[in-house]
Amino acid sequence: MNVRTFHSLDKLIAVGRARAADKDVISFDLFDTLLVRRIHDPDLVKLPVARYIASLAAACGRRIGEREVQRLRDDIERRQRQETGERFDDHEACYPRFMEELLRQIFADRYENGLLDRVTDFELTMENAMLVPRQPFLPWLAELAGQGKRLLVVSDMYLPATHLRRLLAHAGLEPYVEGIVSSADTFLAKASGKAFPMIAEKYGIAPQRWLHIGDNPISDGLRPAEHGIEALVLHDVGEAQRKSLVKRYYNYSDGKPFWRGRVLQQLMAPLEGENVPQPALYRQGYTFLGTLIGLFVQEVARYCLDKGISKIFFLSREGWTFKRYWEKAMPFLYPQGGLPQIEYLYVSRMALAGASCAYQGLTKANADIVFLPVGNRDFRDVCRIFALDLEPLLPHLQRFALQAETALSPAHEGYDPQHRINFDRLLEDDAFQAEIRRQAVEKNRAAVAYFESVGMFAHDKVALVDIGWLGTIQRFLFETIAHRPDCPTCHGLLFGATRGIPYPEDARNQLRGIIYDRYRFDFAASVLTYAQDIFEEACRAPHPTLNGYRLGPQGVELVFRGGEDAIGQAEVEQDAYFAPLQQGIFDSAARFGAAAALLGYQFDDCKPWLNYLLVSKLAFPTAQEVANIRHRHHLDDFHGGKKPQAAFVMGPVPLWGERQWKLRFQPWLRLRHFLGHLRGRINQ
Amino acid sequence: MKPIVDSRYDLEGTSILRLARLALLGKWLPLGNFRGGPGARCLAVLLLLHFLGRPLYAIHLRYGHRLQPLLRRLRRH
Repeated sequence: MNVRTFHSLDKLIAVGRARAADKDVISFDLFDTLLVRRIHDPDLVKLPVARYIASLAAACGRRIGEREVQRLRDDIERRQRQETGERFDDHEACYPRFMEELLRQIFADRYENGLLDRVTDFELTMENAMLVPRQPFLPWLAELAGQGKRLLVVSDMYLPATHLRRLLAHAGLEPYVEGIVSSADTFLAKASGKAFPMIAEKYGIAPQRWLHIGDNPISDGLRPAEHGIEALVLHDVGEAQRKSLVKRYYNYSDGKPFWRGRVLQQLMAPLEGENVPQPALYRQGYTFLGTLIGLFVQEVARYCLDKGISKIFFLSREGWTFKRYWEKAMPFLYPQGGLPQIEYLYVSRMALAGASCAYQGLTKANADIVFLPVGNRDFRDVCRIFALDLEPLLPHLQRFALQAETALSPAHEGYDPQHRINFDRLLEDDAFQAEIRRQAVEKNRAAVAYFESVGMFAHDKVALVDIGWLGTIQRFLFETIAHRPDCPTCHGLLFGATRGIPYPEDARNQLRGIIYDRYRFDFAASVLTYAQDIFEEACRAPHPTLNGYRLGPQGVELVFRGGEDAIGQAEVEQDAYFAPLQQGIFDSAARFGAAAALLGYQFDDCKPWLNYLLVSKLAFPTAQEVANIRHRHHLDDFHGGKKPQAAFVMGPVPLWGERQWKLRFQPWLRLRHFLGHLRGRINQ
Repeated sequence: MKPIVDSRYDLEGTSILRLARLALLGKWLPLGNFRGGPGARCLAVLLLLHFLGRPLYAIHLRYGHRLQPLLRRLRRH
């Protein structure tokens, strides 16, 4: 028999090269030969399509579940195969025919032209996301095409050749291929062998000048050999191992929720030509931060749809990364649309702090925020943060026995508790507050004009998405706009809510931590506090922080911090260092979207795996991981530069601040830190 | 420079071996809510497939048809 079987692709290509020398035509099977799927079972790609059809039906007022859609599709396809089997040797089906019948059955009088195209587009998008070309074939195909060989793709598949061409084009194989033959077009398949004489006649091929390559020992081995065609069959050991692993991860995730996040990661992992060597930071961005951010934005979308939120503002500067991730992942997760509008909002604590005082004045809670960082010492720091002019305020300070340099923070030398008592009395003084309001009113007008320009007041409910941690930006933002009658209800959604100070929540202003929230006991997620700065640095937008808003002749202008000083330069250096990490995050976004859509898993499904990732990567990191991911600079204009007393600076060194030799050679170091963290969380 | 997926089809930096070590630690120390965790049997099968999957499948694909009677007997027991 003219069939040879190979267990390695490289060996098959080596023999194929030699055998192709005296052939005119080389035909390839498509699935599991030229292209491999990330998932072990091709039928799983149908599930997100069923979900999509169900959502389109719901939009037309037809209530049908995704399982029912899938059952109907299977029934129609099976019936069509039986009917084909009565006229032909093969039991083939044709996608456009059975899909149109399915859609007409579901949508009835609501069926409209273009619906089949929309569904087909999504099915092919999902197929494309799950299919990867076998890397070793690419140079060989180019070589064969260069030698003038005629290349054909022959597939037993329900998708017609026009659809298969789109899959080949996406994989970059189409330019090499002369013809694509699908059993869906003629119902003559490789399985019965009827396809081969038909192809020989159509393309004018002599069987002895034809080499066929595929993975099925019958369809791609025995049948072509029966027609005098030489055949090479691929039984790839590596592929068998990979598929077996994916199958087990998938099956285990059904009964054990822990594995759901892991199978998600396995499906979003790069394969074949995508899996090229990358720097350590890129890998961390792809497998760790990318997955976390993916689950975060997925939960943001679910929450917003649930609450009827019509616009999402991603707050600068970390929101820039979240928004970019959203834009790449959401087309897979919500192909039917219906998501809230999204916008990147230029804000910062420094830009909004001053504007927040225009109507309420300087509140005690806001003044207390100034003295949370130990680098802030006195009233000059209050003026710096709230952008106040000190001179007109000095007489008010003197009335309460205070100077601009009087220490108001217990972390600094010269502090007397009486100073804070005097300061609190100052905050209750009407004349002082009137001056604060006078100074803040212009800043407020400019900030409100900016928010108007981005349509904030055109929505009843908006979401404010930010990295964390205390919700200070949202606090200042809401206080800036709270006086307006059209002020929307603000739903703050933070990556992590550490809540160092109580947030003033009410019905119109809410705050929630998604990955971690201190108000929700979640011990594993609380390890986020081990190294929360790295999330900030990893997600930061490549523009300087915003200093404020200014009303100019052309409307509102954004005033950014200059990047020329040492702080600006350090930030540029840090951004350059984390560039591969950010690239890894962005490259994972579309694959996360496709994998999550295929599996149908939500944030809660993957939470156990997310918890494992956090504990493993943050509480028990390798020394190399700490060395790589630890940021070089972490800068914050909010923190003043004044030196506190030693007692306030001294404290236990966090794990991520430990020296490399300790991380490498002290075996109990991580455990000691972990037990300390455990004790801290229980006592909090 | 390394690829994200290694030659054992495992994820670099989130390997099955690292998971097994942490799961073992989780037997004695409360690590957080893993909703039941990985499960010893699942972990054992995955460890086997990641580390010995290639030689096992090489034998299975070459001689699987001859091994069927043996595998059937093993499954019965």
